[in-house]
Amino acid sequence: MTTTTEFGRSGIDRPATSLPALTGTAVPTRVRKRDGRTVPFAADRITRAVTRAFTATGVQNPEPLALQVTLGVLARLSAQQTEQTEEPGVEEIQDIVEKVLMSQGHDETAKAYILYRQRRTMRREEQSSLMTALRDITFAPAEDCDAKRENANIDAHSAMGSMLRFGSESAKQFNMLQVLEPAHAAAHRDGDIHIHDLDFLTLTTTCCQIDLSRLFEHGFSTGHGILRAPQSIGSYAALACIAIQSNQNDQHGGQAVPNFDRDMAPGVAKTMRSRARSGLVQAWLLMGGDPERAAEAARTASDWVLAPDADARQEERNSVRTLFAPLGLGELACDRIDERVRRQAVAETERLTYQAMEAFIANLNTMNSRAGAQTPFSSVNYGTDTSAEARLVVRSLLECTEAGLGGGETAIFPIQIFRVAEGVNYNPGDPNYDLFQLACRTSAKRLFPNFSFQDAPFNAAYHRPGHPETEIAYMGCRTRVMANVHDPSRSITYGRGNLSFTSINLPRLAIQADHDVDAFFTSMDAMTDLVIDQLLDRLKIQSQKKVRNFPFLMGQGVWIDSEGLDAGDTVGEILKHGTLAVGFIGLAETLVALIGSHHGQSDEALDLGMRIVGRLRERTDRAGEETGLNFSTFATPAEGLSGRFVRIDRERFGAIPGVTDREYYTNSFHIPVYFPISAAEKISREAPFHALTNGGHISYVEMDGDPSRNVEAFERIVRHMHDCGIGYGSINHPVDRDPVCGYNGIIDDVCPGCGRREDLAAGGDGIGFERIRRITGYLVGTLDRFNDAKRAEVADRVKHA
Amino acid sequence: MRIAGVEPESVVDGPGVRFAVFTQGCQLHCPGCQNPETWADDGGCEESVPRLIEQMDDAVLAGGLTLSGGEASRQPSGCAALARHAHRIGWDVWCWSGHTVEFLMRLASVEQAKGDGALAEMLSQIDVLVDGPFLLRRRTLGLAWRGSDNQRLIDMPATLRKGRAVEWRPPERASLAGSSGGDAGRTGEWWV
Repeated sequence: MTTTTEFGRSGIDRPATSLPALTGTAVPTRVRKRDGRTVPFAADRITRAVTRAFTATGVQNPEPLALQVTLGVLARLSAQQTEQTEEPGVEEIQDIVEKVLMSQGHDETAKAYILYRQRRTMRREEQSSLMTALRDITFAPAEDCDAKRENANIDAHSAMGSMLRFGSESAKQFNMLQVLEPAHAAAHRDGDIHIHDLDFLTLTTTCCQIDLSRLFEHGFSTGHGILRAPQSIGSYAALACIAIQSNQNDQHGGQAVPNFDRDMAPGVAKTMRSRARSGLVQAWLLMGGDPERAAEAARTASDWVLAPDADARQEERNSVRTLFAPLGLGELACDRIDERVRRQAVAETERLTYQAMEAFIANLNTMNSRAGAQTPFSSVNYGTDTSAEARLVVRSLLECTEAGLGGGETAIFPIQIFRVAEGVNYNPGDPNYDLFQLACRTSAKRLFPNFSFQDAPFNAAYHRPGHPETEIAYMGCRTRVMANVHDPSRSITYGRGNLSFTSINLPRLAIQADHDVDAFFTSMDAMTDLVIDQLLDRLKIQSQKKVRNFPFLMGQGVWIDSEGLDAGDTVGEILKHGTLAVGFIGLAETLVALIGSHHGQSDEALDLGMRIVGRLRERTDRAGEETGLNFSTFATPAEGLSGRFVRIDRERFGAIPGVTDREYYTNSFHIPVYFPISAAEKISREAPFHALTNGGHISYVEMDGDPSRNVEAFERIVRHMHDCGIGYGSINHPVDRDPVCGYNGIIDDVCPGCGRREDLAAGGDGIGFERIRRITGYLVGTLDRFNDAKRAEVADRVKHA
Repeated sequence: MRIAGVEPESVVDGPGVRFAVFTQGCQLHCPGCQNPETWADDGGCEESVPRLIEQMDDAVLAGGLTLSGGEASRQPSGCAALARHAHRIGWDVWCWSGHTVEFLMRLASVEQAKGDGALAEMLSQIDVLVDGPFLLRRRTLGLAWRGSDNQRLIDMPATLRKGRAVEWRPPERASLAGSSGGDAGRTGEWWV
């Protein structure tokens, strides 16, 4: 081996004990390594390391010097050896090497040696933390490993789920060490900020709002051949799933459809025409019409619509009379045929639409994306298209949702968002008021749809009548993309999304400010600047990507302005339509740390809370003006984050009552879940924050009992959200299901449906009840996929109504 | 009034969001009662009618008053005052009683004859009365707002008009406009 020859040349034999100068002294025979194991002591390792340090500092002929140092180290070691019985540790020996280097006057070399040591230490730490993470993924059961439950919708038990975690953990570490600015990496590591989806830092952007109609118009390709423009509601719904799934493979965040009802309506119209054509052809043949002229019958019905006005209906009758006149049928008989064919066609269209929506939901809960470990994070917005076709789509989707999946289970996806708007569906007499009521009934049973509010001033401001792309849409758990600083003429939802977001640990800044509000604002400003800087850095990386890196998102023109770009073009310019979001967590704990109460408890805290979030908003607005990019203020949902920050802060500052004494920091600007407050007051105290958080927000009310038995109350609370200026809201309530008898409602220890217990110890049969809860906006079927902090949060939730 | 408590935004004591007042004291002691802590006459706390009315005015979400207990009919004058105020501010009034409506009406007329019109006044202020004792052996989860199937939802104004118990029917919610009423493919295939 090279070492042997090296040291052979220097005239030193290996075992250190054979060094002539040391004969008779007590040189250690073994050394303790960092992991606790002991190995034989080898002096040549010291010589080798020191030689390298000399070489690094440009010393010529370093061997004799290195030997000198080694001898010095051995002398000190043997002096120590008489005092201590344990074998020396590696770090200890290295400390001695440093001292000897300095005492022999090799200051420069000592410095090089120290730097070298530090690099080695860091490398070791990196490796061991990556290895620990990978070991946990491989061997620790998910119930013991928070990393596996970081995202409640990923099945980390599965092979693909584990492989995803392997990649994700490795990518995170790589990005921390090699890609991020050291200051940003340190802030993330220390828990000052949280860079969301760090594993995807160099790969893609967060989310997108997909204009399905544009995709359907000309057909699209998922990489293996073109899918033609769909011709029936069934194909519309199936292709919608495929588009969502394909886009999900290009992004790590949620996939939203901003106008699902409008996108699906043409599919209903096409199905109606096709059903009418085939019905009229059948009637033609039955009545003895010439098969050769069947095409004429088909043509006659080819523009029938679901709900014609009186004139169109009369025209329809007239054309049927003309068609059948040669067969000797009178007007009355013809009208009866028309009536019969129409009724049949409408019924078939309704049935097919229902089936299409049933399949849509089933597909989105089963088709996997991202290495097969999870279904796409899909959400659909709807509720304001008043056409008969769109209304049928929404009615069917809601009825399917209410009925549940094949076994009656509550569907987890898609997140459904009913867009509430005055004059369209909010008040009795509005054309879609019945759908709003159906939405309330459905949500009271199944937790979805959520409700978005078009009339909230900050949403209404962007709406241009006749332009559905300017109606408000939300993505999944809360993301909102509307204003467009880069191109104000296109302040729209279609083809846009969030690029990346990073959250600030507000409670820490508050604790450090030690009740000094001004100091808090100063440090918050600095932290906001750091985050803005980091988001810009990340955008630079994202901007270098090419269209071919996003085969669907960009390759199929889903992202705004990507149509017409070549595979080799970079996406930097068109990404400017997306948002860069500065998020925050734990406003409640921040306020308690600063002034002793949170915004549910005092008006003073509410005012200060508004000032804090207002300041953040001012800063992101200013960054937008300065850069021409869409910076926004974001109410972070914080799934993986809710426990991490508080864990670090409790270690650092101890358990501060109302601040760090729980397992989690409170979600964004929410009033703490454990704090008893009326629903009305919670809504009115959270509403002002919706106006400030232009990057996304949501408010929840926890409702007692089974609201499907009191839909009036449910609707009352939704209306109150509307009236208070909430942008996006939802009502939480327990949804339990007994898989044995199928009972759906609230189940405590005993199923009210059949009297069964689940708990073996209490005499049950061990078949668990399903308990659906909402976690940071997504529904989760079993509590064991919640991470520890979120489990604690769910256990703490108090009812508001 | 002696009350066990107030729930300003109840969603489980009648339709809609309701301001629920639970009176203190009940002598029926039904086995399986949901609120046994409201039985003792000396439990709960004193609360004045004006204070309760103030709280009603503050309950922005509520659209109705619920009188429950305890046995609300044991404190008829307080209950009647609350119910009158509820009607003044546009609310409806629901009341739970462990007695049947027939019993309450007889009791009210006897007391009225003795010069005490409070119970009669209270009954005249109730829109819907959920009547009858909770019977554990007739317990059911299937009936809205009732714990056992002997209990009824009584339409009080109609009952007083006709002099006999008239059951209350919930108003029909508007059916979906534009629906053909056909059962749209509930048995459809799961996959396209």
